[in-house]
Amino acid sequence: MDILFILIPLSVVMALVVLGGLWWAVYRGQFEDIEEEGRRIFEEDQD
Amino acid sequence: MLTNTFTTEPAIPNPSWTILDTQDQWQRFSQPFGDDPAHPLVQSSLLLDDLRCAACSGIVERGLTVLPGVISARVSMSKKRAVVVWSPDLILPSNILSAIQKLGYSASPASHNENQLNSTAKSRAAFWRWLVAGFCMMQVMMYASPSYFTKAGDISTDISHLLNWAAWLLSLPVMMFSSHSFFSNAWRDLKFRQISMDLPVALGIGITFIVSSAATFDPSGWWGHVVYFDSLTMFVFFLLSARLIEVKLHSKTLGAMEALVSRIPENTERQNLDGSYTRVLNSQLNIGDIVRVNIGEAFPADGKLILGQTKVDESLLTGESTAIHKNLHDSVVAGSYNLGQTVNIMLETIGESTQYGQIVNLINQAAIEKPRLSQLADRVARPFLFFIILSAITAAALLWNVDHGRALMTAAAVLIVTCPCALSLATPAAMLASASAFVKRGILIRRLQAIESIANIDTVIFDKTGTLTDNHIELKSIDVQHGLTEADALAMAAAIAQHSMHPVSRALANAASHRESLKGITFELTDIQEQVGAGMSALLKGHALYSGKLRLGSAKFCESSLSKMPTADERYQQVYLANDNGWLATFHLQEAIKSNAAGAINQLKQAKLEVELLSGDQLHTVENTANSIGIKQFQAACSPNDKLLRLQLLKQQGRKVLMVGDGLNDGPILASAHVSIAMGKCVPLTLAHADYILLNGDISQIPQLIRHAQKTMRVIKQNIGWAIVYNTLCIPLAFFGLLSAWQAGLGMAVSSLIVVTNALRLTKFSTVLFTDLSSEAK
Repeated sequence: MDILFILIPLSVVMALVVLGGLWWAVYRGQFEDIEEEGRRIFEEDQD
Repeated sequence: MLTNTFTTEPAIPNPSWTILDTQDQWQRFSQPFGDDPAHPLVQSSLLLDDLRCAACSGIVERGLTVLPGVISARVSMSKKRAVVVWSPDLILPSNILSAIQKLGYSASPASHNENQLNSTAKSRAAFWRWLVAGFCMMQVMMYASPSYFTKAGDISTDISHLLNWAAWLLSLPVMMFSSHSFFSNAWRDLKFRQISMDLPVALGIGITFIVSSAATFDPSGWWGHVVYFDSLTMFVFFLLSARLIEVKLHSKTLGAMEALVSRIPENTERQNLDGSYTRVLNSQLNIGDIVRVNIGEAFPADGKLILGQTKVDESLLTGESTAIHKNLHDSVVAGSYNLGQTVNIMLETIGESTQYGQIVNLINQAAIEKPRLSQLADRVARPFLFFIILSAITAAALLWNVDHGRALMTAAAVLIVTCPCALSLATPAAMLASASAFVKRGILIRRLQAIESIANIDTVIFDKTGTLTDNHIELKSIDVQHGLTEADALAMAAAIAQHSMHPVSRALANAASHRESLKGITFELTDIQEQVGAGMSALLKGHALYSGKLRLGSAKFCESSLSKMPTADERYQQVYLANDNGWLATFHLQEAIKSNAAGAINQLKQAKLEVELLSGDQLHTVENTANSIGIKQFQAACSPNDKLLRLQLLKQQGRKVLMVGDGLNDGPILASAHVSIAMGKCVPLTLAHADYILLNGDISQIPQLIRHAQKTMRVIKQNIGWAIVYNTLCIPLAFFGLLSAWQAGLGMAVSSLIVVTNALRLTKFSTVLFTDLSSEAK
């Protein structure tokens, strides 16, 4: 079970990395309009 | 460690505020107040941030009113707005803004653009705080889960220490970042010796974190060895979830109002002298400017169409949902949408003086008014919070000798489970939801308190003209002297009548203008005179048969010999035409009763309300109207004083009276009734001193309005009842240690959500009729 001494700290680090990713997503406005991207699939191409 | 999260140095005033000190700048978010030229006063709207509870609005109100030069300050917690009345001679806008900042809040002038920018940044920050709490909660649960499933000793102490440290590390962002607002609000309240909802929550979070941290780093110490990081992160997450959803629901509730208030675009295309167009801010528009309005845009001001014709949607202003066709030279109103094509209009009325501006003002005023029940809740909230903190201390003291850690955690649960939020949200949430439903139907409400008043009424009194009847009078039939045709008689009468503004004269002139055969017939009239309240006379020249003095009016005025006349038809009102030789013609007129009046009266009767009709008109016309729409109790030939006496008599009998009038001639009567409704069609809104204004004058909405108000009061009672039941059940449970901290957090979050969702049911105007209800009952 010694591996836990590495895995637990590693999980903390990974959690912080994921948090960083979420921060990027929130402040890039990724969650502001959730429906638009889904709807765009159904629209005809403009070009 | 808590001191890291708040700043104690005094707030520095923002230098850019001094820009607002010039008059043309502050006029953009202000309007003149009162009418004393010696001491001009100004009323400004400000957006406030960081308001959390009813107590906060009190802090700002008191903080502002002590400033020299500020006459009054009213804060709407739900709209996050302050309305400040101040004197430009004594204080500057920048002083007011920095005073608010010193109190620990931030304020900005209420113009729409900033509002939007602010709200995006705010909602991102709120979402991010929530996301951090949620993500860390999941991870902390992972570290806590081994201890859920194992017996003591199954995990080696090293590993369990490591798990605790990991949980502590991931609880830090939740403590320092996600719950920051709880701490900073609680600290601000302490600084101003106030107490608000955030104080017990912050205490609860703080205690849990301290107990758990001590257990993590000193498991053999007197705090015990049990950690509560899972509870801590969970209830912070629950509380933030509740606030996030609350904000979403609330903005949905106010959606209709906000849509109305902010529908005019910030800028408009104005035509330059050379015919080109430039976009300018609406505040720079002047009367007489020509502006171009594109399809889908709202008209920025009242004006006349001078190029093109179009269809407009005036639904939010009048409740009329069909598009209205507008020809060249027709008037368009600010706030209505252009649906047809791009048009040019010349501006006639701008800014606050437009009907739209008045509506917006009324809505904002109403939202700021604190209804009676709401004031009551605010008064109860403070002592309640003291009681909670005392019980938490008692609970901790009782358990202290058994287990320090458990004692503190019980106190934390008591602190977190309380929900005066539900109590102080109960009334305003429901009333604002209703008000926004009314606005969608073209019903303006002047003060929220009127919702409570109209729900309790037992008698409805109608005025006749303009309320039950349309304003125009219809010509029903004509009797003529032998040898005279109906057309000639009408043409002659109309020629005289068109010189008068009396409703009867206008009805005659109108009737004539609608007959094609009469076009082109002209009479040479001189010496036209009007005798007020009796009739008109004129000299007719150059006519083959009827030259001489013509009289148009009542029988007495015409001095007609009754023998030649057919008997007067009781159902109608008569107007006579005569010349020197005697009677020529009789015109039978009838006021047009609104088509939905009978239905509305029937609905009111179904609702077991007494319906009365008070009118200044003659007995037989009033009797006719009353009979045709089914009102049994009526009184004719009432002077305004008679109406007041009748109203006072009913009041002495303990009746609660709803008065419905046109709002123009019956101001004092409307004002003295228990609650009143005015028709907004023919009256400037500022003059209509009624509690409700029906913008489209559709009286069939009155029964629905009463029903909706009654439903609102039911929802408020449910909400208050729920808040009381919840607190009386949960506080003892937490006190005796039966609720853990996370359960307490969940309870509080769900409790305030229930209140808001319940209120949200009211945003839809119920169209169920009273008749439907009674048939269901059978």
